[in-house]
Amino acid sequence: MGRTAPTYRQALEERLKRWDEFARLLTTPEDRAAFDLVRTAARRYVAQATYVGSPDLLESILLSVLTDLAGKLASSPAARGSSR
Amino acid sequence: MGGPSPPHDGWLLDITESSDGRSVVLWVKERQSGRVRRTAVEFRPPFFVTGPRAELSALAGRLRGLPVVASVELGSGRLSLFDARPRPQLSVVPAENPGRRALARTIDALGRYEAFTLYDVDLSPPQLYHLAHDLYPFAPVTGKGAELRATEPAETIDYAMPPLSVARFEIALKGERRGRLPPPDGRIGSVRVGDLTVEGEDEASVLRALVDELARSEPDVLLSRGGDAFDLPWLYRRALACGLTPKEFVLGREPAPFRAARPARSFESYGRVLYRSALYPLPGRFHIDRQNSFLFDDSELAGLVDAARLSRLSLQTVVRQSPGTCFTAMEMAEALRLGVRVPWKKNRPEEFRTGEELVAADRGGVIFLPPVGVHDRIDEFDFASLYPHIMVRKNLSAETLECRCCPKSPIRAPGLGYRSCTRRRGLIPRTLAPLLERRLAYKAALKQPGLPPARAEELSRRVKMLKWILVTAFGYQGYRNARFGRIECHEAINAYARELLAALLAEAERAGYRVVHGIVDSLWLRPIDPDRPPEPEEFARNASERFDLPLSYEGRYRWIVFLPAVTHGLGVPNRYYGLYEHGEYKLRGIGGRRHDTPGLLRRFELEVLDLFRRAPDAEGVRALLPRALARADLFAAKVRELSWPVDELVISHRLGQPPSAFVTFTDSVAALRQLHDAGAVRSAGEIVRFVLLDRKSRSFRDRVRAAELLDGSERYDADAYLELLAREAETLLAPLGVRRAELLERWGVAEPLPRAPYRSPERRAQRSLPGVPSG
Repeated sequence: MGRTAPTYRQALEERLKRWDEFARLLTTPEDRAAFDLVRTAARRYVAQATYVGSPDLLESILLSVLTDLAGKLASSPAARGSSR
Repeated sequence: MGGPSPPHDGWLLDITESSDGRSVVLWVKERQSGRVRRTAVEFRPPFFVTGPRAELSALAGRLRGLPVVASVELGSGRLSLFDARPRPQLSVVPAENPGRRALARTIDALGRYEAFTLYDVDLSPPQLYHLAHDLYPFAPVTGKGAELRATEPAETIDYAMPPLSVARFEIALKGERRGRLPPPDGRIGSVRVGDLTVEGEDEASVLRALVDELARSEPDVLLSRGGDAFDLPWLYRRALACGLTPKEFVLGREPAPFRAARPARSFESYGRVLYRSALYPLPGRFHIDRQNSFLFDDSELAGLVDAARLSRLSLQTVVRQSPGTCFTAMEMAEALRLGVRVPWKKNRPEEFRTGEELVAADRGGVIFLPPVGVHDRIDEFDFASLYPHIMVRKNLSAETLECRCCPKSPIRAPGLGYRSCTRRRGLIPRTLAPLLERRLAYKAALKQPGLPPARAEELSRRVKMLKWILVTAFGYQGYRNARFGRIECHEAINAYARELLAALLAEAERAGYRVVHGIVDSLWLRPIDPDRPPEPEEFARNASERFDLPLSYEGRYRWIVFLPAVTHGLGVPNRYYGLYEHGEYKLRGIGGRRHDTPGLLRRFELEVLDLFRRAPDAEGVRALLPRALARADLFAAKVRELSWPVDELVISHRLGQPPSAFVTFTDSVAALRQLHDAGAVRSAGEIVRFVLLDRKSRSFRDRVRAAELLDGSERYDADAYLELLAREAETLLAPLGVRRAELLERWGVAEPLPRAPYRSPERRAQRSLPGVPSG
C-alpha cells in the first residue's frame, strides 16, 4: 500500500536475493549449509531491526546474524564447559 | 444508559434525491399507522470556493447569469481546519442538484486547477440535508416536511431500533436451478417476498403480482443474496421484455429507472483487486444484497443502523460501502459541526524529507516472529482499539500535528519528534472519542446480567461494526486520498505504538513473564516460573494504569501452535491456532478462515481441530498426531476412490486482473473460457469457481469444470486434490514434523509429470481471452 520506503523486511529479502549469487559459487555442502544458517539468522530479528529503523541495512543484518551466532556459541557445549 | 425518549410521531427512514433535481424526499415511517409517508422538500445546498479575492470576484461575474447556476454569493469565512483567520469565499448554488459536480469541475478548470479550492462538492444533498437539520437516518422524529425534527441526538447510545419490516427476496427462473448459468432469455417463474411466493404461468402477470404484493405487504427492507448482480437486473430486463414501463413496474416506493444508478466496477483495496456489483436503488425502500456487502455479515441490521445514524449516510449506501466510507462521513459530519467545510480534493502535500528521515519515519508496528511449534501455558493480552486510543490521547490529527501555535508542546511522537497541539482538539480525536465511548458502553451493557438474547445480539453487532470503523480510522491516515488524512499522523501513531510495546515487554518481564510472541497491540506471554505464574488479570490492570491505555486479558491457552512459512521455515506472525482454557479456538491464517477454501480441506481442518480439542496441553497435542495422520489417510483413501462429492471440491479464485490480461494458461483461465463460451463474462475482482478434472490437460474443456456448469457426474483429478490435502495437512501439522512430500509418497501420488507438448485442438486461442471485454 502506497509506502515510499521499502520496509526492512522487503529490503532484507532484496539483499538476500543478491546473496544467492554468492551462494552459487560455494562448492561444498558444508559451506552451503553454513550459508543457509547465516540467511536464516539474518531473518530472525526482523521485529528488532524494524524497531531500530537504521538507514544502514547491513548494520541491521550484521546485528541480527551476530546475535544469532553469539546465542548459539553461548549455548554450545564448549562454551558451557569453559564457564564452569 | 436508559431514560425514556421524548414522544415522536415516527422514524425518518431515508432521504433520497428527488428526480426534479431541486429537492430531497423525506421518507418517514409513521408510528401509529406503520405507513411510510413521502414528503418532498425544496433543498439546493451550495458548495464553496476559496481563492484570491480578485479571481473570486471575476469568477462570480462569469458564473452569474449561467443557466446551470442558481445563485452566487461573495463573502468570507473559515472554511478549512487550517485557516487561522477568515478568507474570501464564494458560495455557489447549482441550478439542479445533479449538476453539482459538473459545475464544480468547470470552476476548478477555470482556476487552472490551482487558483481555487472547492469545498462540500461531493457531499450529497441528502447527507447535507441531514447535517443542516440535525437529522440522521432512523431518527425518531416529530413534525412534517421542512419542519421535521429529531427528538434525540444521533449520538444517543441507548436508543430503540426502528421497527423495520424485513422480507427475504429471491427470484427463480422457470426450469432453472439457482447458481447455474441462466439462458439469456430465462423467464421468471416465481418471486419470493418474505414468506410468500408469487408465481404463475404468465411472466408478465407474475411481475404485476409482485408489484401488488410489495404494495400490500410494504416491506422496508428486501434482503437478497446476489440481488445487485442478478435478481434486480434480471427483473428489470424481463419487465422490459414484457413491455412494462418503469411507472408500472415499481419495486421501491416510487418509480425508478430500469438502469443501474452506478455501474459495477473493479477496484483495488489493500493490494487485492475486488469487484462491486452495480447499484439499483429502490427509492423509499432498502435492498440489502448480502453478497455485495462487506459489513452486513458482521454487523447485521443492528450494526448497520448504528453506522447509518452516526455517519448520516443512507442505509443503502452504508450497506454497500466500506467501513472507511462511514468513518469519512463521520469526520465530515464532525467538520461541519465545527463550522468548517469538507475540501473536495485533498490539497496537502507531504513535507519534504531526506531518505534517512523517511526510513526512520515510515515504519509499521512491532511484529515478532513467533517460535514455530506447540506451546502451552500461554497468556494472551490485547490492547482494545489501541490506535484510535492513541490518536485521541495524543491529539493526532492533520491540523493538530506540528501546529504553529505550540512550538514547545510536550506531546511528541517518540523518535520522530512530531508535536501535537495542546490548545485545540483535533478533528480525528473529536470524531473518535465518542465512538470509543460508545463501544465501551455497548460492551459494558453486554456484561449486564439477565440481558435478553435479542438485545445482546443487537449490541454485539454494533460492537463489531464499531470495531471495523475504528480499524479503518487508522488506515485512512496514511491513504493518499483520505480527506482529512495526513501521512505524518500515520507515522506518529505507529511510533507511539512501537514505544508502547517496547515498554510493555520490560513490564511483562518484571511481572514474571517471558515474551513468546507479539503483534502490534497483542502479546503472548509465558510464566518464567511455571509453579508461580503471575496473576494475569492483575498484570493487565497494572499495565492499563501505567500506560493509561486499556490492556485486556484475552485468556490462557491450553496450547497454541505457531506455524512456519513454507519458504524459510521461520514463524509467520499471523498464522496460528490455539485452544483457550475456556474451550474456544482462535484461528488465524489457516484454511477455515478463508472463504475460498474447498469444502474438502475445510472438513479436514475441522476434523483435526475437533480431535485436538481433547488435548489438555502441548504434550497432549503431540500424542494425538498419529490419530490426526490416520484421519488424513482416511480422507486420502476416499478422495482416491473418486467418491468425494464434487461440490466440496470447488476451488475459488479471485481474479486479480481482467480475463483478457492473462497470458499463461491456468486453471482459472480454463474456467473463464468455459464460462465465456457459455455466455458469462467475468471482470477483475470477481470470483471464478471450478473443479479440477485433469490438471495435466492442455485443453480448457478437460482441465477444469466451471462450478456453474457442473452436473455432478464429473470425474475429478484425484492426484490434484491429494496434493492439496497434503499441503493442508502440512500447513496444520508442520510443527509436529509432518511433511507434504512424505504424505504424498505414502498416498502413492506420483510427482507431477513434465507437461506434455500442446496437442489440443483449441491450442491457439486458449491461453488468453482476446475477445472478452476487461470490465
